[in-house]
Amino acid sequence: MKLWASVRIFVLTVSRRSDVERDMDEELRAHIQNRAEDLERSGLPRPEAERRARVEFGGNERFKEECREAMGTHFFDALLQDLKVGVRMLRRVPGFTAVAVLTLALGIAVNATMFSMVSAFLMRRPPGHDPERVAVVTSINAAPVFQADVTPVSVPNYLAWRAANHVFGDLAANEERGVNLSSQQQSGSAGDSAGAAQPERLRAAAVTPNYFSVLGAAPQIGRTFVTGEDQPGHEHVVIVSHDLWERRFGSDPSIVERSIRLNRENYDVIGVMPESFRMLGFVPQLWTPLVLSAADQSAAARRDRSLFLFARIKDGVTLEQVRAEMGTLVRRTDETFPDTEKGWGVAVRTLPDFLIHSFGIRDAIVVLMTAVGFVLMISCANVAGLLLARATARRKELSIRVALGAGRLRIVRQLLTEGLVIAILGGGLGVLLSYWGIGFLRANLSFNEAISAVPITLDWNVVLFALVVSLVSALLCGVAPSLNASRADINVSLKNESRAASGGRSRSLIRKLLVTAEVALALFLLIGVGLLIRGIYQIEHQDLGFRSDHLLTASLMLDDARYSGADKKRVFVQNVLDRLRQASGAEAVAVTSDLPATGPDSVTLIVKDHPELPTEQRLSALDFVITPDYFRAAGIPVKRGRTFTELDNFAAPAVVLVNQEFVHRYFQDRDPLGRQIQLDVGEAAPHWSEIVGVVSNVKTNSQETRDDPEVYEPFLQRPVSSLALMLRTTSDPDGLASALRSAVAQADPDLPLFRLMSMPALIEGQKGGTPFFERALSCFAILALILAAIGIYGLVAYSVGQRIQEIGIRMAMGARSSNVLGMVLWDGLKVSALGAGIGLVLALPLPRLFNAMFSGILHVHEPGLYVIVPAAILSVAMLAAYVPARRAMRVDPLVALRYE
Amino acid sequence: MAGDAHILPGTLDLLFLKAVSLGPLHGYGILLRIEQISRGALLVEQGALYPALFRLVRQGLLKANWGVSDNSRRAKFYELTSAGKKRLRQEEDSWNRLATAIASALRARPEEV
Repeated sequence: MKLWASVRIFVLTVSRRSDVERDMDEELRAHIQNRAEDLERSGLPRPEAERRARVEFGGNERFKEECREAMGTHFFDALLQDLKVGVRMLRRVPGFTAVAVLTLALGIAVNATMFSMVSAFLMRRPPGHDPERVAVVTSINAAPVFQADVTPVSVPNYLAWRAANHVFGDLAANEERGVNLSSQQQSGSAGDSAGAAQPERLRAAAVTPNYFSVLGAAPQIGRTFVTGEDQPGHEHVVIVSHDLWERRFGSDPSIVERSIRLNRENYDVIGVMPESFRMLGFVPQLWTPLVLSAADQSAAARRDRSLFLFARIKDGVTLEQVRAEMGTLVRRTDETFPDTEKGWGVAVRTLPDFLIHSFGIRDAIVVLMTAVGFVLMISCANVAGLLLARATARRKELSIRVALGAGRLRIVRQLLTEGLVIAILGGGLGVLLSYWGIGFLRANLSFNEAISAVPITLDWNVVLFALVVSLVSALLCGVAPSLNASRADINVSLKNESRAASGGRSRSLIRKLLVTAEVALALFLLIGVGLLIRGIYQIEHQDLGFRSDHLLTASLMLDDARYSGADKKRVFVQNVLDRLRQASGAEAVAVTSDLPATGPDSVTLIVKDHPELPTEQRLSALDFVITPDYFRAAGIPVKRGRTFTELDNFAAPAVVLVNQEFVHRYFQDRDPLGRQIQLDVGEAAPHWSEIVGVVSNVKTNSQETRDDPEVYEPFLQRPVSSLALMLRTTSDPDGLASALRSAVAQADPDLPLFRLMSMPALIEGQKGGTPFFERALSCFAILALILAAIGIYGLVAYSVGQRIQEIGIRMAMGARSSNVLGMVLWDGLKVSALGAGIGLVLALPLPRLFNAMFSGILHVHEPGLYVIVPAAILSVAMLAAYVPARRAMRVDPLVALRYE
Repeated sequence: MAGDAHILPGTLDLLFLKAVSLGPLHGYGILLRIEQISRGALLVEQGALYPALFRLVRQGLLKANWGVSDNSRRAKFYELTSAGKKRLRQEEDSWNRLATAIASALRARPEEV
């Protein structure tokens, strides 16, 4: 708190400065007046008396200065003076200043740029009233899946917990779903676009009527839901987001009380939410009431976990109490319904905490911030090294000042102040640079709706952060030279200056330490980045298990209004497939519930004649529902048995296909053909299906290395609503996009087609932030390497300058220039090798750390890097040392000996 | 001014504290009071007064308040704080001891040695 006290004194002194000065003036004037009056009384005329009084009093300004010092405001005057001297000093050596400022500016710029992500993702307050008092309740999956603790909650649990808890004022539920916004007649704004008339697939959320009041959020126009609007017959109301209102309805306020068509039904628009109503990761375009029916409360509904619960915590209740209460409720549920609930838990977080946690960007940001932190440390080490070198050049000046009576403290302060001037200039320039950096960031972070909904800006958090970083840098840069200066012995340096053979042993030791640290940091960073990039490379170049080239894909969702029965779905799919087969350039067409390697949902299953397993150990597999040509279209090899045909329809016996991983894990690689399994897909009467074939593995997700058991069901036996089309083409797949669009439009003009793109484009989209992550990290690593090289160069160049006489003497004594070259290079190499060694040891645990951090996603194992990176660093170090070493080689002994 | 005594270094603060101890005074008043109580023998340089006063304020020995002087002019009055009173007593004691010691030393005659 000492810092705070000084800041206060400073602020008080500066703000009260004029008061203090006025006081002092008045007091001194009163004194002179009094004296003048006394003199007048003794017989002098008034003007003469006043003149005498002033003369007697003497030099007004000098006394005032002494008074100021006596009062203790002096410190800050000295600071100002130091700043002035510092600026003057730095202006005298523009080259030095430019290098130092630029080095620091780069370091601060990358930090400020990355911090804008922290500010945008981690520091933004969610909308609504007092979000810290809003709790988000989620289930914890019994299986150790990715983000197991942000699993949604089932409807029966929601209803039970809402009724039984004593800690929430109100408990709301939110279910994310997609809806089809039908084409419609746009009254008024008719002319503007054919685009607006296209049917469109939108992200939506079905929420309980109390959702907005729990969050404490008000609409911009209109109203939010009222009680009763979740009852059948009243539920055709919708609230639209600001974004949709702007984009699709031209910000027309009369949208409220008009109706729009969702899933072929009319919904009355009752409100528009403001632009500020956006939560990280939750980006629905519209909200409809969540209608809960009797079916939602059946035993089967327990498996359908789809609700995120938002609750307003009662006043006076702590988060711990909420957690305890929910824990009790969940135990009760577990005991009552062991079949579905065994092993499942509950997680309670505050809204801000939940949003950041579920968005899952924190780890990436931590890695990025660590990387830029290292870059900054290297920058600081460089600037500290530069300042040290300068301090050596200024040894005489500083010694003279000490001899003339300047306090040690004052000298240290002067040097720290110079560091401060450099840091402030660097910080200013850094913030300017980060303006472009953030622009780059924004351009790169727009790969999905949730990310591009987050505004990344150069906000006050970033500026404040840059300021703090600059001040810390000032301290880091200034402290080494200052310590050094305060230790310097005046007499020694004054006497020795003219003939120092190799001056300042401790000084060069500190510099060597700095460069060692720089090399160690750079190596650590390069290996870390290298490991991550190598891991990512392996993912991007892994065999996904299918052929993604020449594959056109699109998604669609059959709405219940028109496709209520299984037959209607079959007919639609048949219709579309027939049309597509006729398109020229189409080699194979298929419909599937999920495209390959896009992370489909999994189902639990039981195998006939296997011993029954406890619920939480039940087998599971990724579930695909496909039409017969799927494997041909996707290019997935069939290993054993047969694939589906048109004959595997609803009238035929139920059949399934499995992948090799399934056979490996659940049949220990024994022949599975003819075995029966039962998939739990939420049917009223589960049935047994026979395994008729085995296909090769397809990666679970194109961005992960995992292979999971997979099971395929024929579409004709279980028609689903959420579908993807897959079209293998003989030419450029994008060329068939319009054919695909029109095939679907002919089958149903009101059905929106979404994510229409080639498979490679889809995979590219799945990479999300990875390419950016990679690019940013490589930039930082290269920046670190360059900075470290500059550091090595500076060290060697400086020591060559210091030892020029010694080198001259050696050459005069007959040393050959190659000897000199070797000697100087050896100097650089020693330091770099030591730094590289330290960095290498520090980097050893990195693969384990990354594997734990990105488990299941990245598999990092690249021992070669531990050889390549040090070799590369040492080569760069040699290069950096070689430039000054060549200069040393060309030293003319005669000139060198006369030097100084 | 021939008859003036030189003020020994370090005694100025003592004089200021003493002058103020006799009652709150403004700066000019302190000078007059010292002149008066030393019967005109001690004269303080006017400019040296204020830095010393500010220092004493900062050390917490004096406190200053704005008031109105006899000739109804606004003036800053100084008075002793409790710390100032304590310091004055200590300084008086040590000065008296010193003065006695010096005086007895100066009175010494050859036969006493």
